[in-house]
Amino acid sequence: MSTTHDTPPASPFGSGPDDADAPTAIESKEDAGLSQGAIVRRKFFRHTGAMVSMIVLGLVALLAFTAQGVGPIPGWWIHNHVSSGPVVNPGGAPTWTLANPFSLGEHPFGQDDIGRDNFARVMKGTQISLMVMVIIGATALVIGTTIGALAGYYRGWLDGLLMRITDGFIIVPTIVVGAILGKLIGGPSFSFFGLPLSSYLAPMLGLVLGGILWTGLARLVRGEFMALREREFVDSARVSGAGDFRIMFTHILPNSVGVIIVNTTLLMSQAIVLETALSFLGFGIRPPQISLGQLINEYQSAFSTRPWLFWWAGLFIIIIALCVNFIGDGLRDAFDPRMKAIPSQRKMDRADRRRAAAGGTTVTAATTASAAEPPDGGSAPSDGDDTRKGEL
Amino acid sequence: MSQDEQPTGGPGQTDPAGHADSAGRTATAKEPILSVKDLSVRFWVGDEWFTAAEGLTYDLHPGEVLAIVGESGSGKSQSSMSLMGLLPRNGRASGSARLGHRELVGLAEERMQRVRGNEISVIFQEPMTALNPVYTVGFQIVETLRVHTVMGPKQAKQEALRLMRLVEIPDPEDRFNAFPHQLSGGQRQRIMIAQALACQPKLLIADEPTTALDVTVQAEILKLMRELREKVDAGIILITHDMGVVADMADRILVMKQGRVVEEGTAQQIFSAPQHPYTRQLLDAVPHLGSRAGEPGATAFGSSGQDVELEYVDDLAAIPLESNDTYEHPGGRIETDHTALRLAGATIEYPAIGRRKAFRAAHSIDLAIAPGEVVGLVGESGSGKTTIGRAAVGLIPVVEGSLTVGGIEVAGKKNKDLRELRKTVGFVFQDPGSSLNPRLPIGESIGEPLALHEKLKGPELSRRVEQMLESVQLPTSMRNRYPHELSGGQRQRIGIARALTLKPSLLIADEPTSALDVSVQAKVLTLFRDLQEQYGFACLFISHDLAVVEMVASRIAVMRHGHLLEIGPSSDLVAQPRHPYTQHLLAAVPVPDPVEQRRRREARDALLEATEGGLAS
Amino acid sequence: MIRFILRRTLSTAVVLLVVTLVLFLLLDTALDYYADLRQSTAPNIGALYEARARLLDLDTPAIIRYFQWLTGAAGCLVGSCDLGTAWVSGQPVTDQLQGAVVNTVKLVTGATLVSILVGVFLGMISALRQYTGFDYFITFVSFLLYSLPVFWVAVLLKQYGAIEFNNFLSDPVVGWVPIIVVSVAAGLIWMGALGGTGRRRLLAFGGATLVTFGTIYYVLASGWLYDPTFGIVGIGVFSLATAVAVTFLSTGLSNRRALWTALTVAVIGIGLYMPLQNLFWYVEMNWLWMFLLALVAVGVGLAVGAAFRGPDPLVSGRTGAITAIVIGVLIFIDRVFQEWGRYGDHPAINQRPIATIGASTPNLTGDFWFVNLDSFTHLLLPSIALVLISIASYTRYTRGSMLEVMNQDYIRTAKAKGLPGRTVVMRHALRNALLPLASIIPVDIITMIGGAVITETIFGWSGMGKLFIDSMNRNELDPIMAYIVITGLLAVVANLVADFLYAVLDPRIRVDA
Repeated sequence: MSTTHDTPPASPFGSGPDDADAPTAIESKEDAGLSQGAIVRRKFFRHTGAMVSMIVLGLVALLAFTAQGVGPIPGWWIHNHVSSGPVVNPGGAPTWTLANPFSLGEHPFGQDDIGRDNFARVMKGTQISLMVMVIIGATALVIGTTIGALAGYYRGWLDGLLMRITDGFIIVPTIVVGAILGKLIGGPSFSFFGLPLSSYLAPMLGLVLGGILWTGLARLVRGEFMALREREFVDSARVSGAGDFRIMFTHILPNSVGVIIVNTTLLMSQAIVLETALSFLGFGIRPPQISLGQLINEYQSAFSTRPWLFWWAGLFIIIIALCVNFIGDGLRDAFDPRMKAIPSQRKMDRADRRRAAAGGTTVTAATTASAAEPPDGGSAPSDGDDTRKGEL
Repeated sequence: MSQDEQPTGGPGQTDPAGHADSAGRTATAKEPILSVKDLSVRFWVGDEWFTAAEGLTYDLHPGEVLAIVGESGSGKSQSSMSLMGLLPRNGRASGSARLGHRELVGLAEERMQRVRGNEISVIFQEPMTALNPVYTVGFQIVETLRVHTVMGPKQAKQEALRLMRLVEIPDPEDRFNAFPHQLSGGQRQRIMIAQALACQPKLLIADEPTTALDVTVQAEILKLMRELREKVDAGIILITHDMGVVADMADRILVMKQGRVVEEGTAQQIFSAPQHPYTRQLLDAVPHLGSRAGEPGATAFGSSGQDVELEYVDDLAAIPLESNDTYEHPGGRIETDHTALRLAGATIEYPAIGRRKAFRAAHSIDLAIAPGEVVGLVGESGSGKTTIGRAAVGLIPVVEGSLTVGGIEVAGKKNKDLRELRKTVGFVFQDPGSSLNPRLPIGESIGEPLALHEKLKGPELSRRVEQMLESVQLPTSMRNRYPHELSGGQRQRIGIARALTLKPSLLIADEPTSALDVSVQAKVLTLFRDLQEQYGFACLFISHDLAVVEMVASRIAVMRHGHLLEIGPSSDLVAQPRHPYTQHLLAAVPVPDPVEQRRRREARDALLEATEGGLAS
Repeated sequence: MIRFILRRTLSTAVVLLVVTLVLFLLLDTALDYYADLRQSTAPNIGALYEARARLLDLDTPAIIRYFQWLTGAAGCLVGSCDLGTAWVSGQPVTDQLQGAVVNTVKLVTGATLVSILVGVFLGMISALRQYTGFDYFITFVSFLLYSLPVFWVAVLLKQYGAIEFNNFLSDPVVGWVPIIVVSVAAGLIWMGALGGTGRRRLLAFGGATLVTFGTIYYVLASGWLYDPTFGIVGIGVFSLATAVAVTFLSTGLSNRRALWTALTVAVIGIGLYMPLQNLFWYVEMNWLWMFLLALVAVGVGLAVGAAFRGPDPLVSGRTGAITAIVIGVLIFIDRVFQEWGRYGDHPAINQRPIATIGASTPNLTGDFWFVNLDSFTHLLLPSIALVLISIASYTRYTRGSMLEVMNQDYIRTAKAKGLPGRTVVMRHALRNALLPLASIIPVDIITMIGGAVITETIFGWSGMGKLFIDSMNRNELDPIMAYIVITGLLAVVANLVADFLYAVLDPRIRVDA
């Protein structure tokens, strides 16, 4: 966008003496004596949705990786994802039962038409999908941060060039570029140092998809760097003799870490959906390799006859994406300095009644040292969803 | 809608100008329009109630100006917002506040809506953000009118234009269709006032109405408000931290500290015989113009002696107001080759970025500072004073002329080549909140120059950092704290400590105290003077506040629109300003003494008359 | 402004050129032109390979072939389009595109509009009820939707939205438990959305539950599903409700003139119902007619507003016009659904009206209403899939933006002026909150086009996305390039429109050329 805001001129006098010389204002009362990191961590731990999601995601990853094993290390589950066995239930229906006693049976998620164990396949697919998701996130993180930082810090022609490159990635839907690249790396004319396709397909897919999903992050990091480089502490560092490199790494980067982490997380939730979609279309992970999307692709026609094959894979995609989204939301709230815990009206009413019952003595602890008026405009929070602005 | 509730003697829409109601001042015998009893405001923070204001009790009469004075955190603003039910969601008010016969505390939202803007209206501090950016100012005034009265669009527009004329907006027909960002700060504040007066409120709350404005604009707005109080019969609550503004406007004063009223009285009582130690402290902390009165021939401009004034009026013929030439007082220039800072015909530009054009912020400036000397640089916003400070440390390029620091040429050098320079110059930034990296413990911030230039590490570095903390009178244990844990005053001390770590021969102080409360400002200024004596650095002290500059600087330079207008020894310049702009500037500074301020005000009006029209606000 | 547009167009044109070049080269490597020959055991395999290479001119370096392609594509600017051929079928790409572009635009436009409207609305309510159960509910649902893979949703929709629903339509019987559960859920949602004091919440809950229950019961008991039209009674009820709702949102019910205007318009609408039925019966309709009728509706609304005079007839007129349009749409829908019975009875439909495949039933002919109904039944499921996945970002975005704006000083000023809550939100907050939305809409449209790739594939919707996937599978280069160019152009246009909108809506923007 080359339309520009006419930003209001900063008042040379500041906005009046908002700063009390008392140790802390009411606003920061909760955070007294904590480092920035600790504040963020505490706010994050208080975010119920994010905490539950962390635990669920951790359990899913644990289950997937232990059940099927990693590389040469075998997992604990009795079946693997390729070998077919005798079909236990008619049609390969799930064997778990609630009828007493509760038991999983041999194929809790059912079997497919040729008797392969669906649990093993879903677990293997989850493994691959999670791995691709993390690789996409890491790749996009590196590329997006670098490009955004350079563009935002140096501005001028470099910014123009980098942003045009970003535009180039944005004007074609990611799924289209993804499909082309997916087809490329899985095609016969592509070889990765002579390795067999099966061993490099998943990581390679992660790399190339990371190579197209970084654009939103780059735009946000650019904006953040542009804003932060105008801040006085950057000038202050420059006056102290710090060079460009030091300013970028020691001063600006740590201050934009919130934006970076939050958006990388949200990007990973898009990543898993993109990977599964490509695999579903046949341009991502493809047989004999499996991923969650590929499973759904393989079984979509069997939906009316063997719905369990379809449900479980989809459920795991949703669980992962949902957890990642909630974690991202929790991180966003935690990193947002404006985000304060706003009490519910009910809680305030209850405290009010208690106070009245106690004979109207206010909790005047604040007035002794540090009653500060919250800055005008109030302390109602805002969950700056604007960070989603440039996302694709 | 509620016309019938208006006082019968209230100003009609027909001829407000002719309605000179001086009875307002003596109306204490009348029924109070607002009577507040035991008002408390609390905020719910971290599962506890914290009291922001407690036990407020006062009456307000029509035509009276009640000033509520206090520093930040005194609850002055929140207690007044609670009258309109405009507290943030975690705030609650209790007690009683009656407007006429109506209880305001706990009034239902729908009924409160009829009171707001109609019977009580507010003028907010920051007119830029307080007006909706996407609607024209005319529309915003019309909206206020039409929500409370039955009025067609045409009629409302006429009424809005009348209000805009009342607040002296030039070309109201044009400005009616202007968006807030197209107006100057002073004009925006006039729009705010017009909007507040739209429905002839009984009570007007002015929440720091001039804090965000330049001093000459502030004087204009205060003048307007003084004139308006004669015309409208409303009671005014003036919330401010500025004792000068209080002296200019207030009939009665409430002094608040940490949520409680510590003193109450008429303006005369409070200023001439303050009882409470806090009030005295507050008054003492205000820098007075002419504080160097002890020095030869020094009295503040306009403060005494008719003959002195007349002299200036004569002088106006010599220098036109628009002149951009520099007037030098005798002794205004130093005659030495050895300078800490020297600008010779220096022109400074903000470089072009992308398609944004380069902006020339300072035009061929000549200025020199001798080693160990403190020179004040004064100007309003957009005068280019900060630009000069930033150019001196190489943050903004000098495009023409020369700028030397301790003999080293800065002009034309790149950031890399300025390492040597960085050792000899320190810089104190305006906003202590944003000049420290929020992610670094303050020890690291202070130590950064040492680590970069002297390659200090480990215990040696810690020793030096602790030494610096001690020198700015902060406990050494603070080095592991983060900026957000400190108060504004503490942060600014850290900023000073950081600027002085390398024992620079020149310090640039860019509005170091403007973001601080007065009492904190006084402490920081004292500290600054002590350190200057101790370290003996030369200093360019940049500020908008003449009184502050006068306290610390031996010479003062005045800037406007990127031009240096006048330079001279502090006492000289303050007592005998030559350039009309300097005179305007000096005359606009309110002093914390009602009697003195009235005299200055009259002197200022005379001055403005002499220069015809004065400055556009 | 003109310079700005030229500048933007030029710079994006360069970007688009570079993108096509890079993707052409990538595609040329990625596509396996010999895929079908690899398994072949034909004796003349060598000759077949050679023939294929000759057909596709593979001996010429790719870069030269790109410029040949570009020359042909550039011809579109002067009216002689040559976008190459899809070599498997031998069909020129321009022929393939014709229907595809229209179909995709049809699908994406509707879905985008619906998701923006619903998303913004939900986001706004969610922000105003911050930290209530309703807010948490909306947050959870939007995250859930955000996490849904569109292909998974599409498969489910096909199963439940079409196959099962068609089964249900042939025998619409529902047990008591689901009806009660749905009614209570509706009551809870309304209660959360309306908020307020305990008594108000209770009223909202009770009212919404009863209304929902009553509606469902009536629909099922009266056999309405066999003939799903409103009739004059339904139109009457809906029209009056619309009049009140529109007035409430646009001016507030305290503006009596606006309310009377809207109600009068509603009465006129009801009065015109029968005459319109006659018109529709005797005259063959088309979209031009519809457009003209919409104009008439707006005119009537404005005229009634003007007739009521008052201080500002424009506000009343606006309210009247919006009401008139909504009522017009209701009558239109009613008329379309009058075809329902005939549509179901048609042998090509065979009582299974909701379609799973394609953009229209092949070989089905009928009048304007009949064809439209067919088109709607086909649009329904793919649109739902697209709306479901893209609604979440608008909801979340609006909520964040709205919360941000509600904390601004000018909102406090607006409250301090004594404006009612509705005006503060609708006039002062919403407008500012929607400004930044202009910058995400183009990006979202591109995402939507991407989403359409999958949706079209699953629903057999012969649009651009399906063309892309089919061509990828058939290793045809030229149609893919055409797809990329066209989506790229759409993206460019969307961006320009957004910039323009932004500049128009936000007076602070100055366009620097």
